[in-house]
Amino acid sequence: MKLPTTHPVRKIFYLITGAAFLLLALVFNVIQKNIEMEAYALTLFKDIAVIVGFTALFLFIKLYWKRESFPLKRLVAILILSVLVLVITLLISQILPAEFETKSYQLIPIYFSSIIVANAVSTVLGVGAIIILLLLKDVIFHKRRSYTGRNFLFLIIGLIAASISTVDLSPYESRTVSYLLYGVLILLILLNSFRLSWIVYLSKKEKILTIVYSFFLFALFIGLKINISESANIGKYLLYYSFPLKIFIDGTFLFGAIYFGIAFIGTLFHLPTAEAFDRKMSEVSSLHYLSKLVTQVFDFEELVNSVTGMTLQVCEAKSSWLEIIQTQAETIAYNNGFRDSNHSVLIVANRNIAIDEIEKINSTSQKIESDEVDSIRKALINEKKPIVIDNTLQDKRTKHIKEFDIKIGSMLVVPLISHEQLIGILYATKDIEYGFDREDVEVISAFADQAAIAIDNSRLIEKSLERERLVREMTVAQEMQKKLLPQRLPTLDQIELEALSTPAFEVGGDYYDFVLLDNNKLAIVIGDVSGKGVSAAFYMAEMKGIFQSICNIYPSPKEFITRANQAISSSIDKRSFISLIYAVLDLDTGVVTSARAGHCPFLVASKNGISYVRPEGIGIGMGASTTFERYIKQEETQLRYGDVCVFYTDGITEAMPPEGEEFGYARLMEVVRKNYYKSALEIRDEIIHAVNQHMKNKSPQDDITIIILKWLKN
Amino acid sequence: MSDFKINFRESANANIVDLKGYLDAHTAPELENALQKLVNNKQYNIVVNCKNLSYISSAGLGVFMAYIEEVRKNKGDIKLTNMSPKIFNVFDILGFPLLYEIYNTELEALQKFTNH
Repeated sequence: MKLPTTHPVRKIFYLITGAAFLLLALVFNVIQKNIEMEAYALTLFKDIAVIVGFTALFLFIKLYWKRESFPLKRLVAILILSVLVLVITLLISQILPAEFETKSYQLIPIYFSSIIVANAVSTVLGVGAIIILLLLKDVIFHKRRSYTGRNFLFLIIGLIAASISTVDLSPYESRTVSYLLYGVLILLILLNSFRLSWIVYLSKKEKILTIVYSFFLFALFIGLKINISESANIGKYLLYYSFPLKIFIDGTFLFGAIYFGIAFIGTLFHLPTAEAFDRKMSEVSSLHYLSKLVTQVFDFEELVNSVTGMTLQVCEAKSSWLEIIQTQAETIAYNNGFRDSNHSVLIVANRNIAIDEIEKINSTSQKIESDEVDSIRKALINEKKPIVIDNTLQDKRTKHIKEFDIKIGSMLVVPLISHEQLIGILYATKDIEYGFDREDVEVISAFADQAAIAIDNSRLIEKSLERERLVREMTVAQEMQKKLLPQRLPTLDQIELEALSTPAFEVGGDYYDFVLLDNNKLAIVIGDVSGKGVSAAFYMAEMKGIFQSICNIYPSPKEFITRANQAISSSIDKRSFISLIYAVLDLDTGVVTSARAGHCPFLVASKNGISYVRPEGIGIGMGASTTFERYIKQEETQLRYGDVCVFYTDGITEAMPPEGEEFGYARLMEVVRKNYYKSALEIRDEIIHAVNQHMKNKSPQDDITIIILKWLKN
Repeated sequence: MSDFKINFRESANANIVDLKGYLDAHTAPELENALQKLVNNKQYNIVVNCKNLSYISSAGLGVFMAYIEEVRKNKGDIKLTNMSPKIFNVFDILGFPLLYEIYNTELEALQKFTNH
């Protein structure tokens, strides 16, 4: 026969089989009554029908079975079930007392109704016993070991063997082997009854509940067992119905009674240590919870509150608070910390204590200040080790709290240490004196360590967020600055023009620009703001504004530079200056009029030779506005066809590889002299190439800007 | 990074500051502190000897500009001496010789203070 495999079909199959065989047993009973004869063969058939029927019912129940991991719930279930079974069977036997006559070891029912009652009672008891066994199995399998399953299997085998050994026996007959097997069964029950490890892990409250449940369960199973003894009403029904079933139920009830008897005693012995165990459990779960929180840095608030909350809970402290020792920068940022002799402290979490009370505790009394007694906070900052104050009123660091009417008996203070640096302090207080023992110090220190890690993490995250923000801002600044430089170079017939500017940092201080003036002249400006980075970039932007707005009003270079100095010197830091060259090229005549405000001289190369043009001048921002003008001289240079002007910033001449010398004016002149006949673009690239080679392809340390102008008019 | 050192000497009528090494944005605050100390002590006759100065950046130049005004207001001066040609060129391009007295020798600078 092929067994059905799918669940719904299997369920129906088991249920129908169970019901059918139990019905068959009923039929056998009826036949037995009617023929009123000693029919041993019938007893055998009946027993087999009962065994098959209940096996099928067991398989049916097993399909619905869901494991429950919490043993206490199972205990409640067993309690309810056993009460139900007891009540139902008692009720039935009270209403319909068993009336049998005994004939040569056989029980013969006097009425037909007795047959029905026997069947009903036996079914209830049988099904009840099966469910009780399954429930007990769940309890025993809690925190199972490798041999737990094996031992329980032996018990079930023993139970079934003891039951089967009575097959075909009449109610008052007996077999030696049955007694033997029953003895083995008791041993196996004892063996399994010491599987009580689930009790250890219960909280104190649960242990007390377990004691109560176990007691009632023990009593109930004893009651049930007496109830099915041969002399009792129910026992008679059961004995008449099936001897093996009676043994099975009897064994189950015995198991229940012994198991819960031992559980009752075991739990009783566990009770004194329950509190200590509870504490350890809560320490473990608190630390686990905290370590989980540590990774969620964004819940910093929750973490510090949890640390203080758990401190209260685990060592039953009255109040607790957590202080963070701030760095200088953070003090400025928060600006609400308490300063305590060079340490600025911020209270980030406080439980059952007000901030002003905390400060009072950490202050030192007026009367003893002359003795130079440190406050408890200061003492910890110095020692960086946990401090226990067993009696606050006797400790000189804390006895002043009496004056403030603060009632604290004992105190525990532990440091938060990260990278060998004290970053915070965790406090706990109790009303009683001598409230903190060694374990308290250990567990609170463990909390402090977790908090230290979390604070560290949150600081790191904050830093990296800040960094990210700065990088973003700088990228924006770089984009902005790029737009300040000419987007397109003027295209003119008379000249070839090329320019390049590369900042060394995200933003730079180099600036160049061109404006086509009204009278067919081209204004060229190149400048360099002293310093680098953001501050330089600001002045550069200011320079752009000035150039664009006044180059048409003051076309003379000397005048332009003077006016630019006037505009800028009031706003520029006296340590800073701007060097620049302002040159105006007459597009008709090829005359370059230039003035130089402390900037690198520009090169003019022609077939007749090459030279630096260096009109006298000082940097913008260097002299008083009134006298500035007199230092600026103006120079004129006549360009011929093919002549080249090279404007640049000191990033070129001062380009210096590590352990080398500057690129210098001579090298620059040499490169231009060799290449001046080439196109402006080619000359520019030759210079950049020469500088890069000199730098051995290391990135430059300063901004580099270069403008090449080639005159192409006869 | 090459280091930078400042040494103080006193003569009859001026304070001499010897500079050595690299004067850039990183080391400029050291010179700034040095000059600030002199100004705080009302020492306004200052000679800066650049004999052993091997490099100066714009930040280094800025330090002199920061104090010249105050020093001159108090009838003193910052005079620079003993520059190598390379260092002088840096000062020269920016126009320092137009605003500051730069001498070849310390003695010349000290004499100028005496004549005052």
